[in-house]
Amino acid sequence: MDRRSFIKLTAITGTSATLASCGNPENQLIRFVPAEDIIPGVAVWKPSVCPLCQAGCGLTVRVMDADADVVRNGQAGVVRIAAAKKLEGAPDHPVNRGGLCARGQAAIQITYHPDRITQPLKRAGDRGQGRYEAITWENALAEVVARLDGLDGNQRAVAAVSRGGRGHRAAVLRQFLARFGAPAPMTFDLFGDDVLRRANALSFGREQLPTFDLANASFVLSFGADFLGTWNSPVAQNVAYGLMRQGRPGRRGSFAQIESRMSQTGGNADEWVPVKPGTEGVLALGIAKAIVDGQLRPVSGAGRAGALIDGWSGGLASYAGAEVERITGVPAARVERLGRRFAEARPSVAIVGGPALAHSNSLFTALAVNALNALVGAVDQPGGLSFTPQLDVVSAAKAGGPAGAAAPALGQFAADVIAGTSSPQVLIVDGANPVFTTPPTWRVREAFGKIPYIVSFSSFLDETTALADLILPDHSFLESWTEAVPESGAMTAVASVAPPTMRPLHQTRATPDVLLEIGRTLRRPLDLPWQTFDEMLGASFAALPSAVADVDAWTDAQAKGVWTGTLPAGLAAPAPAAGASAAPAAFAEPQFDGDASQYPYYFLPYPSNQFLDGSLAHLPWLQEMPDPLTSGMWSSWVEINPATAAKLGIAQGDVVEVTSGHGKVQAGAVISPGIAPDVVAMPAGQGHRTYTRYASGRGVNPVDLLAPVTEKTTGALAWAATRVQIARVGPPDGRLILFAGGMREHFEGELR
Amino acid sequence: MAPLPGQASGVYTTMRRTMGDALNDFLNRHPTATQPIEFPHNIHVGKEVACEFCHEGVDKGAVAGIPGLRTCMICHAAIATDRPRIQQITKMNEMGIDLAWQRVYGFSNDDNVKFNHAPHIRAKVECATCHGNVAEQTVAQRSVEHTMGFCVNCHNERKAPIDCLTCHF
Repeated sequence: MDRRSFIKLTAITGTSATLASCGNPENQLIRFVPAEDIIPGVAVWKPSVCPLCQAGCGLTVRVMDADADVVRNGQAGVVRIAAAKKLEGAPDHPVNRGGLCARGQAAIQITYHPDRITQPLKRAGDRGQGRYEAITWENALAEVVARLDGLDGNQRAVAAVSRGGRGHRAAVLRQFLARFGAPAPMTFDLFGDDVLRRANALSFGREQLPTFDLANASFVLSFGADFLGTWNSPVAQNVAYGLMRQGRPGRRGSFAQIESRMSQTGGNADEWVPVKPGTEGVLALGIAKAIVDGQLRPVSGAGRAGALIDGWSGGLASYAGAEVERITGVPAARVERLGRRFAEARPSVAIVGGPALAHSNSLFTALAVNALNALVGAVDQPGGLSFTPQLDVVSAAKAGGPAGAAAPALGQFAADVIAGTSSPQVLIVDGANPVFTTPPTWRVREAFGKIPYIVSFSSFLDETTALADLILPDHSFLESWTEAVPESGAMTAVASVAPPTMRPLHQTRATPDVLLEIGRTLRRPLDLPWQTFDEMLGASFAALPSAVADVDAWTDAQAKGVWTGTLPAGLAAPAPAAGASAAPAAFAEPQFDGDASQYPYYFLPYPSNQFLDGSLAHLPWLQEMPDPLTSGMWSSWVEINPATAAKLGIAQGDVVEVTSGHGKVQAGAVISPGIAPDVVAMPAGQGHRTYTRYASGRGVNPVDLLAPVTEKTTGALAWAATRVQIARVGPPDGRLILFAGGMREHFEGELR
Repeated sequence: MAPLPGQASGVYTTMRRTMGDALNDFLNRHPTATQPIEFPHNIHVGKEVACEFCHEGVDKGAVAGIPGLRTCMICHAAIATDRPRIQQITKMNEMGIDLAWQRVYGFSNDDNVKFNHAPHIRAKVECATCHGNVAEQTVAQRSVEHTMGFCVNCHNERKAPIDCLTCHF
């Protein structure tokens, strides 16, 4: 180095050294006095409850000091807070037993999401434009109260759509509406299990999802249920499944999965049985007939569940092997072998759910599988299925009061509003996004547009909230009292509850408290028996027997995050009225929308492993989590069988258009050997128009293609009953993002 | 190769973000902390207030902690309330504004040093060993240089582990 360049170098570094010593600009910010005592660098773990699905898994939350950017009295600054930093499964929770799924791990991002709604907002632009202005809580609540007071005499003109559930929070909304004189909140779950609940009520007298004792099972036969991925209580089922496979030295349980598109669960199966969509019930009865014919179980063993099946007592004459093979496509010899295996492996259990119950004839399918379970004695036995005793929240919290009118079905509600036969004046939206999850043919968006006033409690500007006139953002689950009464997943009665794990970051308020406050300030107050949500929780849990001496159940539950034990007689949810007069169910051909010649393929949307029905698409960790079977991420795709793809000239990644009688979408093709040649599948969850920076405008929503076919008896949406055609549009254009280059077990070239 | 965030180019890097940072580190030059008020350590130590009364994390975890106004007000809600500076901080506390203390000691992220106070307190290392005699200081000064040699000497003397991974992990 010569002298000149040395001087140059010292000049440059000297300048940057001077700049570097100016100090950290963060120190220029105002610091606010923290509201709590925090020991820096020391973590505490607090209980909480996972809010993402209805399973109600218990959490343990790592809380540590952190500096948070806040605005106080109009001044921006930083304050030291005790912040939640990591979520894990609660080790002693009877549902998840220490486990937590990847979705649950990502729930921490809800609290710190950059696009969270941080304070009450009032619509400033046209509806759906997404323009809002800030409003104080006082003014916002006064506005809602004035609206509700203005309905005097027309109380039924309030409608609500919520996420539903069996917990206390849902009960607060129901109580609010019932006492106001409005119908109960509508609920809509795209991949909901109402058909199975109805079938269980008929077969077993319990209107709820079953709990499976997989840990003690020897053979599991699953009809379409993605029980290791997204269905029912996935973490509880994963834990028990692990014990079935590896928890008993020398005895490894096995399982067969029956479905037309390989799910994550199917990928784990010992045997994968492809079946024609909508014929799973026939296969179940074919298996039952093989058991009866083989003298492995008496036909009378199925009792009430068997009596619900047409021809059961006569030995299921119309479900002979050849006939079953013709209808389902499963060879008769295989049906017989499955029957023998199912009867001989003790204990064995059959599971039904997911696409198998998304057809026009699904109640029959569910009843058939229930009868099969009853035939082998799997009900309420170790290694079989049982029903988690349910806490009746309303009687535990001594709510009393009027029962309120039943909720209309969402599809019917929308039709009535559009036809003008119903004219609701106020709509309350809590934790639901039906504009995104309902088929466009239901015209829910148009119907909501006709309602003069919409209030949303959402934390994010999703498609439904974007129509709202007023947004009253809820706390995140970590900032508020949380609770769950799991419908399934545990052998004993269970109710979770946890106090807030951290102070609220923003100007938000807990929705149950807001509802209680509105109820108090109405011109004619609603006489709800609690001032705050935690008062209601306290009343409810205090009514439960304590598991620990000297500590009452409420104190114990708050410390542990969960109460579990035996329910006192008065607090168990009552069994549904026996629908004894139901006519025996017989197989009817599943109905599909669309002519087979014009739309040759069955269309199968499925709950995505990352986003379920799309409610989690705003969490970036889940966007970047590869799908376990295709490795797809940040995008939508269409799964196509290699033979079908070859016939249509479609290669991996090509842009294809999927068209139904109701809509069309374009996405990248994923060539997958795990799908039947006459089926194409798409994950749900993407295709949001507005749902934070991470999900908006990303991918397509397969729900846009769905026909309004419903299950014949229950009226539930038959979401796998649409036929489509597919065509190649162009070469890969980067819209399909895969973590791995191709399917992991195949060479790229082999797929082409 | 595309440059990474915070780097001028993807080719040559120092272990510091800028050449200036590297040079300062090499010469052991640190930005001087300027404190919002001249906190008199000498008076508090003179009144025999123990260090860990205010720096309460020191025997519990990695960080000793720089106390905020809440800690000050434990005593000064009642003690020396006639002094102008105490009245000043009482007023700040009422407004909810904390003192924005700046750090005096500490390692930069680029050093890859993970220091944990608690085991040093358990090993009965005096605070003054690393922080100098604060009884003679008003606001804390960086009177001891925390170079690697300083750490390793003491670890050697006390037969504490000198494995790299003890501190660098």
